[in-house]
Amino acid sequence: MRKWTIVLALVVGSPIWAGVTDDSALADSAITAAAAEPESTNVNARYIIEGVNISGSESRNTIANLSSSLKTELKQVVGAKLDSSKLDKLASRLKDELKATRVKIHVTKGTRPEHVLVNFEVAKKPVDLKVAKFLYDSEQGWSGEGTAATHFNGNTVTLGLTSDCDDLLERYAGIRAKFERDSLFTDRLGMVFEFDDFHEMWNPATATAGAPELYRSRQVFTPEARVKIAGPLEIDLGVRFARYRLSTPDPAETESSNAVVSTLRYHQRWGSGIDIQEQQLDASYSLESAMRLLGTDAEYTRNLVQARYEFRRDRNKIDATFMTGVIEGQAPLYDRFVLGNAEALRGWNKFQLDPVGGSHMVYGSVEYTYRYYQVFYDNGAVWDRAQDCEPKQSVGAGFKKDGFQLAVAFPLRTVHPNPIFFAGMNF
Amino acid sequence: MAPLKPWWLMVTFLSGMAVGMLAMAMNSEDLILEHRNNRLEFSAPRTDFFAGKSAQRLENALEVPFAIQTTLWSGNNKHVFKSSTARFIVSKDIFDPKPSYSVVMVGTSSRKAVAHQSAKAAQAWCLSQMSLDTTGLSATEPLWARLDIRAEEPAREGSVLGDKVDQSGISLLTTLIDVFSKPPGSQPAWMLDYSPGFTLDSLRHTRGS
Repeated sequence: MRKWTIVLALVVGSPIWAGVTDDSALADSAITAAAAEPESTNVNARYIIEGVNISGSESRNTIANLSSSLKTELKQVVGAKLDSSKLDKLASRLKDELKATRVKIHVTKGTRPEHVLVNFEVAKKPVDLKVAKFLYDSEQGWSGEGTAATHFNGNTVTLGLTSDCDDLLERYAGIRAKFERDSLFTDRLGMVFEFDDFHEMWNPATATAGAPELYRSRQVFTPEARVKIAGPLEIDLGVRFARYRLSTPDPAETESSNAVVSTLRYHQRWGSGIDIQEQQLDASYSLESAMRLLGTDAEYTRNLVQARYEFRRDRNKIDATFMTGVIEGQAPLYDRFVLGNAEALRGWNKFQLDPVGGSHMVYGSVEYTYRYYQVFYDNGAVWDRAQDCEPKQSVGAGFKKDGFQLAVAFPLRTVHPNPIFFAGMNF
Repeated sequence: MAPLKPWWLMVTFLSGMAVGMLAMAMNSEDLILEHRNNRLEFSAPRTDFFAGKSAQRLENALEVPFAIQTTLWSGNNKHVFKSSTARFIVSKDIFDPKPSYSVVMVGTSSRKAVAHQSAKAAQAWCLSQMSLDTTGLSATEPLWARLDIRAEEPAREGSVLGDKVDQSGISLLTTLIDVFSKPPGSQPAWMLDYSPGFTLDSLRHTRGS
């Protein structure tokens, strides 16, 4: 009898404890005090996640590039109870890391009772307009590149307009067109076709320095296969067909530079933008070999090793960059190494260092950034003959935020340490 | 060009008036007020705030937090007599063959919940928790009332919204005040005004009590 009294008291008392008034239109039996299970505000929180999937146009190519912490978290939700806010946060991180327009969460019934399947659907903008590069260099002038990319059925088509006097010895202006497919028969294999058509302008320093062969225009076609070897390691293999129209002596004369090109790439990321600590390592080795077999006019082999390590803790970030390269044979000017631009050995004028570029190059840089403020130290040399190797150094400081950068750099140990200013985006 | 006939002007003017009055009448019908036991109760049977983006999330087993605010102005529509703000976490059971919604009212001193409800009943329950005490108001004092419903942004990495769901007391109140002090933005929002102004007496006469 006493037991039934307690039960009755609980049944009658529970709506009052829950604070629900008697005049509520709802049946009291449906009203419960949620305090018994304070963490579950979602009725589906009792279901177990059976599996997680990522779908969408960009998924195949980019899952490998997700940060290890995000991959771990995605794995961890499998077998756990459904947690809305956790899934929302994962969707938000996927959106950031995949640079997607939208990541939608779909939850469906699983194959087992009380189990659910989670699918993150990644979507990109139908047309992605982007300023790929915009730069003002107080020594060289303006450079810029704009691109429009569209994604469909796992394919990406990109069209770009460019006018650049920064990264090579020449100012080249023209169009880029690129077709990429993430997967070809298998997720491990993709392909890229790129076609470039540029017109060149030369700095007087290069034109009068006895440069090998100046050209007025060039067309480049590069079909490549992209193979994912394992995890963070992938390789591009292809052929680059380049044809350029010479400036002198006969303007109608063209030459070809056809080369086998391959790049072995390694990318690893620990942590992500939202973690207190994040590290990234990018390394690559590129080999270009222009050979008679491909009908090239000049035979040469170009080797380039690049590595970049980034360490961020809270608002402090350190970037360390290293590059070295060697060319054997007579490479066209666009393939020769250049230092003294907005990317390498900042503060030096590339035409004062070597107006025709070099066949050997070594470069290192350390950059420290606190929030938006950066300081950097660059060191490097570019040369043809060993006796001409003369390491140069520079220091600089600037402001960097969301791709926008404003910096000033000074060459060290020079008679005229004139500063060079850089301003722009994504350079 | 034919001269403009005066009766055309009259018809246009009257049509405009009729449309305006209809819109006003429909607007007041969207928000229904009842006065019982010294409490002003709000209901909005024609407003489905689980619809649209929120419905998509609910169909995908995700919870949707709604912030609801009721406000009563007295004397003139500048003086807030009473206001109530609360957060409701809504979810829909994806395994239940019938539409079955659960709502948890969080952050108040007494946490309440309701389960196995239809969408309409769940929404009605949310609004039933938002009544305002009218003690101290005279029956003839001019009043204005508003119901403001905001579906909140899903939790983002780095934000605190996901944690806000279980906030209570002052921190939740501060958050909700913050929510309603800003325009709704891209998230679904409903703002229903009971217009024109009313008195408690007029509610008794029109709705009965």
